Amino acid sequence: MTALLRTPATAVWVVLITATGVSWTLGIQHGTHDHKLASVIILLIAFIKVRLVGMYFMELREAPNVLRGLFEAYCLIVCTLLVTVFLWL
Amino acid sequence: MQPTTTRPSPAVAAKKIPGEEGVWIFILGDVCVFAVFFTYYLVQRSKHVDLFDLSQSALNKNFGAVNTVLLLISSLLVVLAVRAMRGAEQTVAQRLIVGAFLCGVAFIIVKVFEYSERIAAQQIPTTNGFFLLYFVLTGLHLFHLIIGLGVLTALFFLARKADLSEHQWAFFEGGACFWHMVDLLWLVLFPLIFLVR
Amino acid sequence: MAKRIELDSGLAKAAVWSGIALIVAMIVAQGFLMHFIPPPSPALSAKELAQRFIDRRDEIRLGCLIQCIFWSFWATWCMAITIFIRKMERGWPILTYSSIALQGGGYVFFILIPMTWGVIAFRPDTLDPAVMQIMNDWVWFDFLFTWPPFALWMAVIGLAIIKDHNVPTLYPRWVAYLNFWCAILIFPAGLIVFFRDGLFAYNGIGAFWIPFAIFFGWMIAMSVLTLQAIDRQKTRQSENELVMASV
Repeated sequence: MTALLRTPATAVWVVLITATGVSWTLGIQHGTHDHKLASVIILLIAFIKVRLVGMYFMELREAPNVLRGLFEAYCLIVCTLLVTVFLWL
Repeated sequence: MQPTTTRPSPAVAAKKIPGEEGVWIFILGDVCVFAVFFTYYLVQRSKHVDLFDLSQSALNKNFGAVNTVLLLISSLLVVLAVRAMRGAEQTVAQRLIVGAFLCGVAFIIVKVFEYSERIAAQQIPTTNGFFLLYFVLTGLHLFHLIIGLGVLTALFFLARKADLSEHQWAFFEGGACFWHMVDLLWLVLFPLIFLVR
Repeated sequence: MAKRIELDSGLAKAAVWSGIALIVAMIVAQGFLMHFIPPPSPALSAKELAQRFIDRRDEIRLGCLIQCIFWSFWATWCMAITIFIRKMERGWPILTYSSIALQGGGYVFFILIPMTWGVIAFRPDTLDPAVMQIMNDWVWFDFLFTWPPFALWMAVIGLAIIKDHNVPTLYPRWVAYLNFWCAILIFPAGLIVFFRDGLFAYNGIGAFWIPFAIFFGWMIAMSVLTLQAIDRQKTRQSENELVMASV
């Protein structure tokens, strides 16, 4: 079993759990200050996590460039789109 | 004497599509549909910011966070299951798949509690625009998760076979990717609906 | 020597084209004649809805006659695909029979649509608008809320393709995933029962336009793919004949 765990995906998993904790902490703060910055960070973290899942769990790091490219493009475009709509609409 | 030609050493692993092409038509298509929904959610929010922020505060963020962790654990178990299958450790793979399945069931149980809380507080899909989108988006995700449980079940039975054909391997990896997609969608859904304001 | 069972490509292709005719007829009759694409809003009052039937009663009656004919082709179109499912599965034909059973409900659901509208348009002046509203709601539920057997058949097609034992497979493997995806995507049609306006009302983008576009887009895609599969089978059969003749 430990042999199975010896893969980059496990380290990535630890990062993902940590990032979830960070987002949650940022998200549950109560305060009168503007929450916009925290929300943008939360969104960015979300898409970094999405990319990590794609690269390391779905094994897109070893996939042909077209497929990997499509996924990376998705992460970039959707993240940008959501942050933009959030900040500017 | 013939000059010997040097072959390129197979040090660089050949690029390989995880699963098969068809799986990616499905997965990319699905995540694009969700991207449309995510955008629609934020557009609707921009028209009713105060309503959305106020309604969002009623949500149980702890349940959402627990669900995120459950799916992350299940995804890791699926990654390990694929590794186990590649190492011909079928029993281990099957146990890992069962573990991932149980995490999925736990997610559903938490979701039932979450929805019950909302309904008890008179917050239902027809209450307002926020709760409509909350229930539709999380419901659509739940629908995918339930299908994912079916896929995991298929993988469990596939793992019993000693020798998988090329197509069966493709389905195994593809099925694993589908489960990761279920995880991935929640990784956006939870922060977007529960935390962003 | 055992007699080879051959595909009659002419008949099979005609069956596929009958489905295309179905789509064209729907656009002409339900869309242009009856003005029922998109659906009238469920938020309309009974009187407003009744007026629509009174105003276009002749167009609706004619459209209904046309639609009762063309929705029948759902059965023939499905069979073009089902004969391939029969060849894709080995042994006892559970996927084939499931397909036939799931499709059989299909043309009934479809024909009930123009039949019901025909009944409404039969006496629109004297029929109680509240009754007309219920019947019209019923039609749209019949059109959209009945998505599950269709989604299930899409899943059966996908499953048959995944399990296809032929080399090469009769349909390319990615078509299986296309079917799985379409099966999931028409699900929002089930939400119409909860909403009378907005995204998931029976005239909404989420519950009408998306499932409608996906469903008929799927029909067109499967038509093209099936025509290609028929051509490949025809080539295979004539190659076999050449081999037999040269023996």
